[in-house]
Amino acid sequence: MSTSYFYDRCLSRMSIDKSISIDKSIVLGSALLIFLTIMGGFLLEGFFSFQNLRSVLLLAAFLGIASLGQTLVALLGGLDLSIPFIIGSANILLPSLLSSGLPPVLAIVIVLMLGALVGLMNGALSFRLQGQSLIMSLAVGFMAVGATQIYTSIGSEFGGNVFTPIPEWLRNLAAFNGVTFGIQIPPVVFIWAAISILLIWLMRNTWFGISIYAVGGSRVAAHRLRISESRTWIQVHGISGFMSATAGILLLGFSGGGFVGVGDPYLFTTVAAVVIGGTSLLGGSGGYGATILGVLVLTVLTSLLVGLGLSFAAQQAVIGSFIIPMVAVYARSKHIRNQI
Amino acid sequence: MLITKTFRSLGSIKIPLILFMILLFVISIQAPKLFSVSGFSNAILVSAPLILATLALTPIVMAGRGAVDLSIGPLISFLNVTLIAWLSGNNITNPIVFCLWAVIAGAGYQIIQALIVTYIRIAPIIVALSGYLILTGVNLMVMSRPGGLSPEWMSSWSGGGEPQIFSPILILVLTALGLWGLFTRTGLYKQLRLVGSDERMAYTSGVRVDFVRIVAYALGGVFAGFAALSYTALVSSGDPTQGATYTLQAVTALVLGGASLSGGRGTATGALLGALNMFLITYLLGAFSFGSLSGYITSLAYGGILAASLLVNVVSNRSSVSRG
Repeated sequence: MSTSYFYDRCLSRMSIDKSISIDKSIVLGSALLIFLTIMGGFLLEGFFSFQNLRSVLLLAAFLGIASLGQTLVALLGGLDLSIPFIIGSANILLPSLLSSGLPPVLAIVIVLMLGALVGLMNGALSFRLQGQSLIMSLAVGFMAVGATQIYTSIGSEFGGNVFTPIPEWLRNLAAFNGVTFGIQIPPVVFIWAAISILLIWLMRNTWFGISIYAVGGSRVAAHRLRISESRTWIQVHGISGFMSATAGILLLGFSGGGFVGVGDPYLFTTVAAVVIGGTSLLGGSGGYGATILGVLVLTVLTSLLVGLGLSFAAQQAVIGSFIIPMVAVYARSKHIRNQI
Repeated sequence: MLITKTFRSLGSIKIPLILFMILLFVISIQAPKLFSVSGFSNAILVSAPLILATLALTPIVMAGRGAVDLSIGPLISFLNVTLIAWLSGNNITNPIVFCLWAVIAGAGYQIIQALIVTYIRIAPIIVALSGYLILTGVNLMVMSRPGGLSPEWMSSWSGGGEPQIFSPILILVLTALGLWGLFTRTGLYKQLRLVGSDERMAYTSGVRVDFVRIVAYALGGVFAGFAALSYTALVSSGDPTQGATYTLQAVTALVLGGASLSGGRGTATGALLGALNMFLITYLLGAFSFGSLSGYITSLAYGGILAASLLVNVVSNRSSVSRG
C-alpha cells in the first residue's frame, strides 16, 4: 500500500466524518440564531435598529477574535484557559509601553509578539501532559498576568489600571462610533471578517489546516502522514496567544483604558462559543465557521437578555444553562458498553 | 536502606512531603511566629476551607474522564451565600440546620453533575464549566455584594476569644479525613480507583461504573459542604466573589498533592499536604514585604508552582512506571 493511497483514504474519511457532524451542528446553530433574532424582534423595540446591529457585530468581533485560538486548540482536543489572562495582560501592557514613550506601532508589535511567545510557551509546556493541558494553560495564564502586573506597577501606583492617552486610530478601530472608509461600522468588524475568511481558507487548503484536523482526529494517522504532533500543538497554542493579545489590544481601543480584568468574561464565553458552534472538544471535528455561528448565537442571546433587563449575573446563569443542552444534542460520548 | 525503602513506598506524596518539610524549615527561620498557639489556631482556621475544598475534588478527579470540578469554588461560594442570605437572613440559625443544608445541598449539586455525566454522557469538564457559569451568576443574584453576618455560634468558631487549637474547625477537618478513611476501607474505594484508571476494564469486570461515579461525586459534594461551613466561619459573612480564586487554589493544591488529573490516583494525605503547602507558600510570601506587589507575586507564584508541579508529576509518574 503506497503512502499516497493511505493519505487519500485518510483525507476522504476525515472530510466525510467532518461534513456530517458539521452539518448537524450548523443547521441547529443557524436555527437557534434565527429563532433568537425573531424573538428579539418580537420582544424588544429597536432590536433591528442599526445601532443595535452594529453593537452586536462589534461585540461579536471581539468574542470571535478571542475564540479563534480556542477553536484551533479544541480541534486538537485541548482547551486554552490562558486566553482571558493574556487578553488582560495585553490590555494593561500596551498602555504601559505607550506611556513609557514607545511609538504605538512598535508597542503593539511587542505586545503581539509577547502574546505569541506566551502561547508558544504554553504549548511547549503542556504538550507532554495533554490530558491536563487545561490546567497547565491556567497556570501559564496566571504567570503571565502576574508578571505583567509586576512590570506595569513598578513605578506606578495603579497596578490593575493604567491611564494613558490611546492613539486616535486605535480608538477608531474598535469604538462603537468607529468609521471604516466612511461606513459607520467600526473597522474591527471588517478585520474579524477578513481574519475569518483567511482562516477558513487556510484550514481547507493548506497543509497547516490539514495537520490540525489530522492530529485532532487521530494521533496515529497524523504520525503516519509524517505530521509532527508537537509542532502542530505548539503552533496552535502560539496562534491562540497571538489572537488573545490582538483581542486585548482591540479591547483597549474599545474601552480607552487598560484594565487587567477585561478578559475575565472570555474565560468561559470562548469555550461556550466553540461548544455551541459545534466543534467537538474531543478534537478533530468542527471548525472556525461553526465557531462564528456560536459567537453570533451568544452575542445575539446576550443582547436579547440585556434588552430584557437581565443583570450580568443572570446573563451568565442563562448562558451557562445553554451549554449542556447544546452539547447533549451532538457531542455525547458513547456509552461505556459501546466503547469496548 | 530502610529509609530509601520507606521513601519509595510513599509513592505520589513523596514530592509534596519534601516540599512541606522545606517550607516548614524556611518558615521556622523566616517567620517563626507560625509555631505558637495563636499561629497554629490561625493556620487551621485559614487553611481549613482549602484543605476541605481539595478533599472535595479528590474523589471526583479519581473517577476519571478528566473530571476536574472547576465549579468547586462557585459551589462553596453558593453554599456560603445561601447559608448567610437564605438561612441566617431569615433568622434560621440552628447549627444542625446549617450543617445539614451545606452538606445536603453540596452533595445534591454534585449528584446532579454525576447524573449528567453518566446519563446524558457529556464530558465532565463541560458540565463543570457550565456549572461554574450558572453558579457564579446565581451567587451574584442571591447576594450582589459581600455582606451579611454569620450566626453567633459560628463566629465563635473563628476564635472570637482565646486562640485555641482544638477548635470546631479542626474537628470539621478531622471528621472529613475520618470519613475519607472509612471510605477507603470499603470495596467502593477500590472500585473507584479501577473506574478512574481504566473504565472499560472496570465495566467488563462487573463494576457498577455509574453507581461508583455517583457515590464519588456525592462524597465530593459532602466535603464541599464542609468546606463551605469552614469558609463561612472564616469570613463570618457571605461573599459571592471568591469562587474563581478557590477553584484555582483547590486545583493547584490537588496537583501539588500529587493527584493525577487523568484519574485513578489520589489520596487524602496528598490533598491535605497540597493544601497545607499552598497555605505555607502564601504565609511565607506574606512574611516578605513586597508592598503593593504582593498580590501579583502571589499569582505569579501560584501559576509557577502549578506548572512546576504538573511537570514534576509527569516526570515522577514516568519513572515509577518504568520501574514497574
